[in-house]
Amino acid sequence: MHKFAFLIFAAVLFVLPMHVLGEDDPDPNSPSPLLFGWESVETRARRIREPSVDPARPYARLRLGDLGDADPKAFGVFLFQKSGRTFQLPIENFAPNQKTGIEMTVRIADSTGYYGEPAFDGESLIYVTWRGTMSNVLKIRLGKSGGSIEIPAGLRPAATSPAPEVVGYRWSGDRIRFLEQAAFGPTAQLDNRLRRIGIRTWLAEQFEAPYPTIPYPDIPMMPTTPPSTCMQTTAPACYRERYSMQPLQQWLFKEAYYGDAQLRHRVAWALSQILVTSGVSIRQSSHMIAYHKLLADKAFGNYRDILYNVTLNPTMGDYLDMVRSTKLNPNENYGREILQLFSIGLFMLNQDGTIRRDSSNDPIPTYDQTTVNNFSKVFTGWTFCNTTVCPNATPGIQNFKDPMLLVPDNHDLGVKTLLDYPGATVQIPECADCATPEATSNYAYASLNAAIDNIFNHPNVGPYVGRLMIQQLVTSDPSPAYVERVAGVFNNNGQNVRGDMRAVIRAILLDPEARGDVKTAPRYGKLREPVQLMTNLGRNFPARSWDGESLTDGGLSDPMKKLGQNPFNSPTVFNYYPPDFIVPGTSLNAPEFALLNTSLATNRTNFLYVLIFDGYTPNATDSLRGTSLDLTEAIGAAAADPTGNRLVELLNFRMLHGTMSAEHRSSLLTAILAVPETSPTLRAKQAVYLVAASSQFQIQR
Amino acid sequence: MKNNRRTFLKSLGGAVTMSALASEIGYFGSISALAQKGSVKRPAGTPADYRALVLVYLGGGNDGNNMIVPIHDDQSVSNYAAYSAARSPQGLAIPQASFLPVSVPRIGGLLYGLHPNFGPVTGGVNNGICELWAQGRLAAVTNIGTLVAPMTRAQWQSGSVPRPFQLFSHTDQTAQHYTCRSDSVSLTGWGGRVADKMTSSSNPGALVPFVSSFGGNLLFTIGDSTQPLSLSPAPTPLANVLSLTGYNNTPISNARFAALQAALGFDAGQELIAASSGIHNQALAISQALNASPEVTAAFPNTEIGNQLKQAARMIKTRSILNVTRQVFYCRIDGFDTHTGQLLGQAGLFSQLSQAMRAFYEEMVVQGISDKVTQFTMSDFNRTFNPGGSGTNVGSDHAWANHSFVVGGAVAGGNFYGMNTSNGTPFPTLLQNGPDDADSGSNARGRWIPTTSVEQYAATLAKWFGLSTNDLQYVFPNIGNFAVNDLGFMLP
Repeated sequence: MHKFAFLIFAAVLFVLPMHVLGEDDPDPNSPSPLLFGWESVETRARRIREPSVDPARPYARLRLGDLGDADPKAFGVFLFQKSGRTFQLPIENFAPNQKTGIEMTVRIADSTGYYGEPAFDGESLIYVTWRGTMSNVLKIRLGKSGGSIEIPAGLRPAATSPAPEVVGYRWSGDRIRFLEQAAFGPTAQLDNRLRRIGIRTWLAEQFEAPYPTIPYPDIPMMPTTPPSTCMQTTAPACYRERYSMQPLQQWLFKEAYYGDAQLRHRVAWALSQILVTSGVSIRQSSHMIAYHKLLADKAFGNYRDILYNVTLNPTMGDYLDMVRSTKLNPNENYGREILQLFSIGLFMLNQDGTIRRDSSNDPIPTYDQTTVNNFSKVFTGWTFCNTTVCPNATPGIQNFKDPMLLVPDNHDLGVKTLLDYPGATVQIPECADCATPEATSNYAYASLNAAIDNIFNHPNVGPYVGRLMIQQLVTSDPSPAYVERVAGVFNNNGQNVRGDMRAVIRAILLDPEARGDVKTAPRYGKLREPVQLMTNLGRNFPARSWDGESLTDGGLSDPMKKLGQNPFNSPTVFNYYPPDFIVPGTSLNAPEFALLNTSLATNRTNFLYVLIFDGYTPNATDSLRGTSLDLTEAIGAAAADPTGNRLVELLNFRMLHGTMSAEHRSSLLTAILAVPETSPTLRAKQAVYLVAASSQFQIQR
Repeated sequence: MKNNRRTFLKSLGGAVTMSALASEIGYFGSISALAQKGSVKRPAGTPADYRALVLVYLGGGNDGNNMIVPIHDDQSVSNYAAYSAARSPQGLAIPQASFLPVSVPRIGGLLYGLHPNFGPVTGGVNNGICELWAQGRLAAVTNIGTLVAPMTRAQWQSGSVPRPFQLFSHTDQTAQHYTCRSDSVSLTGWGGRVADKMTSSSNPGALVPFVSSFGGNLLFTIGDSTQPLSLSPAPTPLANVLSLTGYNNTPISNARFAALQAALGFDAGQELIAASSGIHNQALAISQALNASPEVTAAFPNTEIGNQLKQAARMIKTRSILNVTRQVFYCRIDGFDTHTGQLLGQAGLFSQLSQAMRAFYEEMVVQGISDKVTQFTMSDFNRTFNPGGSGTNVGSDHAWANHSFVVGGAVAGGNFYGMNTSNGTPFPTLLQNGPDDADSGSNARGRWIPTTSVEQYAATLAKWFGLSTNDLQYVFPNIGNFAVNDLGFMLP
C-alpha cells in the first residue's frame, strides 16, 4: 500500500510557468522544513523518548509541516550515525496533507546501493532537506542497545541570518550566491545593480549583452610543426603565444574579471567542461579560440545546434579523431563520446536524472558497441577544409577555423542503425543514388542531420545535460525534483521548442533550489573549482596587476597548473574532474573534489597566501603584469573599526553569504586582533586569507 | 642456472623445440620458483615485512618494437632480418650491432637486444638497467595488453570475444591500464583498490596514505575508500612538499595558523564543508609527519623521472616514521607518443628511464631492501610495427600489445614472461598481416594482439605484494577470464 501511494505522487509532474519579464523574482525567503517530534509536540523542557526501530522492520514514519510541495523527489531524508557516516534514506511513502502536514515513511537503508547499510547501534540522527534547506534534527533509536549521540556543530537548521542593523544587505546572501552561479562572482557594483533591477531583468539583459568585452586574442593559424622561428627552445615567447593555451587562458581570466557579458562567459566555460577539447593534444591557441567562440556563440541558442556544430568543428574533429575517420577505417572515438559525454550518457535515465533499472535492478544501458560502430560510420569522410571553398583556408596550414569539409569518397554509404526509443527514426538507409560527389555529399549531410536529430531527441538529453549544467552552475548533487523541472524545460520551453538553452539556463538559475536566502542542507552547493576560486576572489576584491597600477593581463597558468585546473588543458575528454565523482569514504557526489587531495589542498592554501599577501609577481614566462587583489574595501573596514567586527561582517556577507557561525567569527576575530590596529592592511589580508582558505568559503553554497 | 632450467624442463619430457622450451608451464608459480631459488641473496638486517610497488608509467604509448628486438638469426621465430625488413626502408630500424644483447632462456637462450640506451650513456650517472638482466634483477613481460578475455586472431576478426573498448585511444587505453577494466568504465584504479583492501591490515597506524602519486589524483591511485597522497618530486625536500607558505613563527602568523586550523573543525555537520576540511586536515597531519628530510645515497639523474623516483626513495627511507609496511608509488615519464621524430626522441627518453630506474634500484640496494621494492613499467599501448613517415621524421602510430620491464631484487630476472603467442614463444611474430597482427590485408601495419592481459601482469605483482587471494576478484574483477593469474616473474 505504501509503495502504491508513492507511485501516485511520483507521477505528479511539476511544471514551471513560463517566465516572462515583469514577473517577480523568486521569493528569497527560505522556509525550512519542520520535522515534528515523535510524540505530540517537541518541548525543550522534556526529552522526547525516541521511537525504536526494529531491524526486522526497518521503517520510520516522519511528519513534516506542509510546504506546498507535493513532489517527494524534492525531499531528502538523511540519517547521521555515530560512525560519522551519513546515509540518504529511500522514501517509501509520501502523503502530503495541507492540514496535518506531510506524512512519509522512510526505509532505514542506504539509497545509493554502494555505501554499505546503516548500523543498528542505538541512537542516530535524522533530518530532512528540501530546496537546499534542512529541517530540525531528531533522534531515532535503531535497534535496542547502544549509547547516545550528540548533534555535531553545524548540523543545525537555523542559519545565521543577516544582522538586521546592516542596512541594505537584506537577501544579500541570495544575490551573492546568484552572482557566483550566473557570473564569475560578485562585484560591489554589480551587487548593487542587481539589488535595483532584480534577477530576471539582469538575465534578460545578459542574454542580449555583446560578448566578449575583452576581444578574443587574434592568433594566426600556424603550421602543425612549429617553424624554426617559433621553436620552444629558441623562441619560447613565440611558441607560448602560438602553440600553447596561454593567450586564451589570459583572456579567460581577464574577461571573467572585467567582462560585462558575465552569463555568456560563465555558460561557455561550463559548456567547455562538458563538450571537452584540450590543449594537451590541440596544440595551437588559435584552434582552441575558434572552438571556444563556437561554444560562446551557441551558448544561448539550441542544444541541437551546439551538437551539430561541435561535430563539424575541426578542433573537436582533431581531438576525437573524426577528422581522420574514413569509410575504410572508421574511428570510434567521436561516435562514442558524443553519446557517452555530450548527450545521453551510459544509462537510461528517468526525467529526474535517476538511472532506470530493469527487473533485476541492473541499470539499462543506452547503447552498445554496435550503436557506436553505426554512429561512427555516419561520422566518416569529414576532414580539415583546406580548399578554397573555405574562407580561412591557408596553403600548407591545417584549417582549424572553418567547419570540416566532406570528402565524399570517404563517407560510408551503407545502412546505419541508430538509437532506438519511442518516436525515433532509427535507420539511415544505404545510399541508393550516390553516383556523383554531389549526391554523396547530399546523402552524407542528410545522414549527419538524421544522426544528430536521433541523438538530440533521445529522452535522456534533457535530464543528462540539465543535471550537468546544474552541477556546473549551482550544486553538485541536485535533488531529482530540480533535475526534473529543468529537464521539463529542456524538453519544452513552453512554446514546444526542445533544447532552448535560454529557457534551460533561466530554469536552472531561477529554481527555488538555486534561490533562497540561506542554504543549510549539508550536501548543498559545490566545491569552487580553481578557476572559480580565483575569479570569485578577483571580482570581490578587484583583480589588478601585481603593482596595482593597471589591470592584470590574467596570466596565471603556472599557479593554475598547481591547482589541477590548467584552463583549456583538461587531461582528458572526461574534463578536469568527472561529473560522477564520489568523495572517497562518503556517498557524496561532488565532482570538483577530484581536484582536492593532500597536495592540491596544500597548493590551494598556498596559492591564496601568495595571491592575498604578496600578489603574483610579473615574470617573462607566465605574466608580464602579475596579479594581485585590490583590498581597498576590506582595508577600509579594518581601519574604520578597531574591534575587527566590521571587517568580519563584510567578509561574512560577501564571501560566506551571511552564514558564518559564531565560533568561526570569534576565531577569526582573534586572528585579526593579533595584528596591531595600526596595520589595517595586514588585518585585512589576515582576514581575507583566512576566510578564503576556509572550507566554509571553498564550498560555494 | 640457465642450464639447470633447460635440464629441468627437458626432464618433464618436452621435445627440444622452441615452443616446448618456451612452454608456459615452467614459468608460473612453483616451478619457476624452484628454478630460481637460491639465486637471490636477500640483504641482511632488512625489516621483515616491507614491500613497495613502483609503477613507472610511460605516457603516450611507448614503441616496444624498438625496445626489445630479436637480434638472433634463428629462422624458426622472428629474427633480426624480420625486424629489419619491416623497419629499415623508412629508417626506423636500429643496427643489429647497436643493441645490447640479452639471452632469453625461455626461447632457448636466443639473443634479443635491448635498446642501446639501456646501457651506459653519455653524461649518465650509472650503467643503466641492462646490466641487471644478467644479474637476474630485470625481466621483460612481453606482448601484454588490454583484454577482456583471451582472444585469438580468428576471434578478433570474427568479433566472437568482447574487445576492450576504444582500442588505440590514449585516454581509454591509459585508463584501462589504470583500472584493469577493459570491459567498462571504472571510477577506481587497481592501485587504489589494492589500498582499499590492504590499508587496514598492512598500514593500520600509517601517517600517510597507502598510495603516493607524482601524477596527481590519477585513476590508478583512487580506490573506493582511499585516496592517494599527492607529492611533488625532488628537488623539493620531502619535508616541504606539504608545507604551508607564510608561517614563520611570529605571533601574527601563529594566530593565523590557529584560526586556519580551528576553522577546519567548524560546521562539521555540513557534509561538503567537512569533506573539504577533512582533506586539509589530512594534509596538515601528513605535513607534520613528513618533517624529516632524509637524503638518498645513490646518484639520481636530475630529470623529471629521476626526481620522482628520488622522492619515492626518500619516502621509503622514512617508512618506519611514517609507520607503513606497504606502499604503492605512481611515477610518470611523458613524451612517448612518437608519431614523428622517434629515433632521437625515444632514445632520449630511454636514457632518462634507464638512468632513473637504475639509480632507484641502487638506492634500494643501499637501503638494504632491493628485494622488497619492485619497479615495473606500463604504457598506453605499443606502436605500429610498420613505421609512419621516413627519414628524420620517421615515427609510428598507435597499436596494442607491448612489452614491459620489471626491476628489483625479488624479480626472477633475465628472462621473458607472459603467455605464448601463436608461434609458441611469448614474443610476437614480427609480421604485418601475420598471425599476431590485429590488422589484416595488404595495408596491415602490425598491431599485435595481446596474449597476456594487463590484469595478469598486475595480479602477479599484487600477489607478490601480499594481496590476499580472496581480494583478487575485488581488485581485478575480470581476472577470472584468464586461466593464469601469476605469470611467475616474481619470486615468492
